[in-house]
Amino acid sequence: MIYVVLFFLAFSLFLYVLLGGADFGAGIVELFSSKENQQITKKTIYRVMGPIWEANHIWIIIVMVILWVAFPVYFNIIMISLHIPLTLILIGITLRGVSFIFRHYDAVVDESQKIYNGLFRFSSVFTPLLLGMTFGGVISGSIILPEHLSQYNFGEVYIASWFNVFSLLTGIFFSALCAFLSATLLIGEADEAHEKIYRRKSAIATIVVVLSGSILIIYGYVNDFVFIKDFIQNPYSISLIGASALVLIPLWIHIRKGHKILSRFYAGLQVVMIIAAAMIAHFPYVLITKQGELSLLEGVAPDSVIRVLGVSLIVGGLVILPGLFHLLKSFKMIKVLEP
Amino acid sequence: MENLDAARLQMAFTLAFHIIFACIGMVMPFFMVVSHYKWLKTRNKIYLTLTKSWQKGVAIFFVTGAVSGTALSFELGLLWPEFMKHAGPIIGMPFSLEGAAFFVEAIALGFYLYGWNKLNERFHWITGVIIGISGVASGILVVSANGWMNAPSGFDYINGEFLNIDPVAAFLNPAWFTQALHMILAAFTATGFAVGGVHAYQIYKKRNVALHKKAFKIAVTFGAIAAILQPISGDISAKDIAQRQPVKLAAMEAHYDTEKGAPLYIGGIVNEETQEVKYKIAIPKALSFLSFGDFDAEVKGLNDFPKDTHPPVAITHYAFQTMVGLGTILLIAGIIFLLSYKKKHWMDTKKYWLLFILLAPAGFIALEAGWVVTEVGRQPWIIYNIMKTKDAVTPMPGMIYSFYMYLFLYTILAVVVTWLMQRQIKVLNKTSVEL
Repeated sequence: MIYVVLFFLAFSLFLYVLLGGADFGAGIVELFSSKENQQITKKTIYRVMGPIWEANHIWIIIVMVILWVAFPVYFNIIMISLHIPLTLILIGITLRGVSFIFRHYDAVVDESQKIYNGLFRFSSVFTPLLLGMTFGGVISGSIILPEHLSQYNFGEVYIASWFNVFSLLTGIFFSALCAFLSATLLIGEADEAHEKIYRRKSAIATIVVVLSGSILIIYGYVNDFVFIKDFIQNPYSISLIGASALVLIPLWIHIRKGHKILSRFYAGLQVVMIIAAAMIAHFPYVLITKQGELSLLEGVAPDSVIRVLGVSLIVGGLVILPGLFHLLKSFKMIKVLEP
Repeated sequence: MENLDAARLQMAFTLAFHIIFACIGMVMPFFMVVSHYKWLKTRNKIYLTLTKSWQKGVAIFFVTGAVSGTALSFELGLLWPEFMKHAGPIIGMPFSLEGAAFFVEAIALGFYLYGWNKLNERFHWITGVIIGISGVASGILVVSANGWMNAPSGFDYINGEFLNIDPVAAFLNPAWFTQALHMILAAFTATGFAVGGVHAYQIYKKRNVALHKKAFKIAVTFGAIAAILQPISGDISAKDIAQRQPVKLAAMEAHYDTEKGAPLYIGGIVNEETQEVKYKIAIPKALSFLSFGDFDAEVKGLNDFPKDTHPPVAITHYAFQTMVGLGTILLIAGIIFLLSYKKKHWMDTKKYWLLFILLAPAGFIALEAGWVVTEVGRQPWIIYNIMKTKDAVTPMPGMIYSFYMYLFLYTILAVVVTWLMQRQIKVLNKTSVEL
C-alpha cells in the first residue's frame, strides 16, 4: 500500500507542477508582456484556465495531506525549519487566488482592475519562486533537524535553510519551468496574430530554463552539494534529463506545425521528466539536512494508517479523475465564455 | 507576548475568518440551486438574474474560503508541528476524504460557473447541487477531525506513544456526529439569516423589491428551519459533553462546586479569582436536567478537577451565553418568518424588515461563539487529556509577527470582499430595473 501512497504523492506533485505551474506561469507571461499584449493574455488565461483554475491548486493540499498522514516525521521537520518561506507561499497563494477572482468577478470594471492585475502578476512570480526556493532548501543540506535546534541561532535555523544561493537558483529554475509550460500552452489558444507572441515567449522561457538549470548544476557541483553530485552520477536522472532535452526537437516541430495537443503533451512530458529526474536522483533520501540525509520512509506512519490512506486515495481518485477529465474536455473547445 | 499565545491568537483568528467564508461557500450554493430550479420551472427572469448574481457571490466566497483553507492546512503544521507529527496519521482519514470532497466541489463549480448555455440544462443544475452536497461533506469531515481532538480515539496511548492506530475509529470518534450536526445546522442558520439580512436591507430601502423578496424568502427559509432544529442538536451536544468533557461543561456554566440538582446560570459576571458568578439568573435544577435528563443528577464542578486542567472559565462562559442567547433569538425570528407566510401583512411593515436587518450578523456571532466554547473550553489540551497545547507549538520564535501579518492580510481581504458584494448588489439593482 505504501507504493499506492507514494504513487499518489508523486502523481499529485506532478499535476500540481503541470497545472498549477502553467497557471503560475500564465501570470509570469502576463507580467513580461507589453501593455497591449497583457490584456490579450489576461483574456486568454481566463478562457483557458478559468474553469479548471480552482482544481489546479487543490493538488498542493493533497500533497500536504499525504505528507502529514503518511510521512509525519518529514512533515514535522519541513514545517519547523521552512516556516518562513511556507508562510510567504501562503501569502502568495492567497493574493493570487483572490486577485484572479476579483478581476473577473468584480461587477464594476474600473481603476481597481489595475490593483488586481498588479497583485496577480506579482504573486504569480513570487509564489513559484518561493516554491522552488523551498524545494531548494529541502535538498540543499542546510536544514537543521529539530533535536539540534538549540545549538544554532535563529538565522541559521529559520533563514539560512532556504535563503541561500542554491535555493534561489532552484527557485529561478522552477519559475522558468512554469513560464515555459504556460507560454507553450497559450500558443495553441491565441488567434493567429498573437500566436507569435507566445512562440517567442516559449522560446525565451526555454532558454532561461536551460541556462538557469545549467547554472544550478554548475554552482551545486563546484560547491559540493550532495544532491547535485548524486544527481549527475545517477544514470536514471541523467537519462531523463537527456531525454527531456531531446524532446525539444519534436516539441519545436509540433509548435511550428501548430499541433496544439501534441505540443502541449511534449512540453508537459519534458517538465515531468525534469521533476522525475530530480526526485529519483536521491530517492528515498529526499531531505538532506546539516545532520545528514533522511529517508522519506523513515518515521513512516503505521501500516493501518497507510492502508486506509491508500484506499481513500484510490476511491477519491476514481471519483475525481473522470470528473476532472470531463471538465477539461468540456471546456477545451469553447471559444467564447461569459461568466 | 509569549509564543504560545501568539500562535493561539493566529490560529483563532485565521479559523474564525475561514469559518465565515467556508460556511457561506458551503450554504449559498443551496440557495443558488433553489433559485435556479425555480427559474427552470417558472421561466421567471427574476430567478435567473438572482441565480446568476448569487453564483458570483458563491465564486468570490468559495475562493476566499479555499485560499484561507489552504492556508489552514499549512498552518496546522506550521504552528503545531508536534501535534501534527502524532495526530496527522491518526486523523488522516477525514482529511484525505475532505481533500477529495473539496476537489469534487471545485470541479462541480467549474462546470456550474462556466456551463451556462453550454451544458444540458438539467446536468448544469445537477452540478450546482453537487457543489452544495460536496461542500457539506467537506464540512462534516473537517469537523470530525476536530471532534477527534475533543474525543481522542482509535489508538492506545502507552508511555507517551500512540500505538495500535485505527484511523476509522479515530474518524468515527464519539464527538464527530454531535459536533458535525451542530455545525451544519449552525452554518445554515448563520448564512440564511446573513444573506436574508442583506436582502432585507434592500427591501427596506425599496430597491428592486420583487427580486430581493424572492431572495430573502429562499435564504431565510433555510435559516429558519435550521434555527428551529438547532436546540435539539444543542441538547444532544450538551448531554454528550456532560459525559465526555465534564470540565468543559463546568466552564461553560461557570460552575465551580459539584452539586446535585445544579442550577443553570444565565448571564452573570465571572470572577475567576474568587470563583464567584455575580448578577446571574439561576434556574434551580435546570443544569442537572439539561445535562443528564434528571433534575437531581450530580453535576461536577471545576474544583473537582486539578487547577492546571481548567480552561479559561470566563471566556468559555460568556461565549456559551452568547451562542445560546443569539440562537434563541434566531429561533424566535425563524418562527416569525414562517408565520409571515400566513400573516402576509407583516411583510408590509418596516419593523419586520428592520428585525431581519438587525439579525443579519447574529448567526455568525453565535457560530463563532460556539467555536470559542469548543476550542477555548478544551484548553489547556490540544488533544483532550493527551497532549497540551503548549507542548505542540512550533519552536520558532516571533510568532506574533506572523499573527500581525495575517491580521493585516485578512482584514483587508474582508473589507474588499464586503466592498465587492456591495458593488454586486448595486449593479444587480440597476440591471433588473431594466428587465
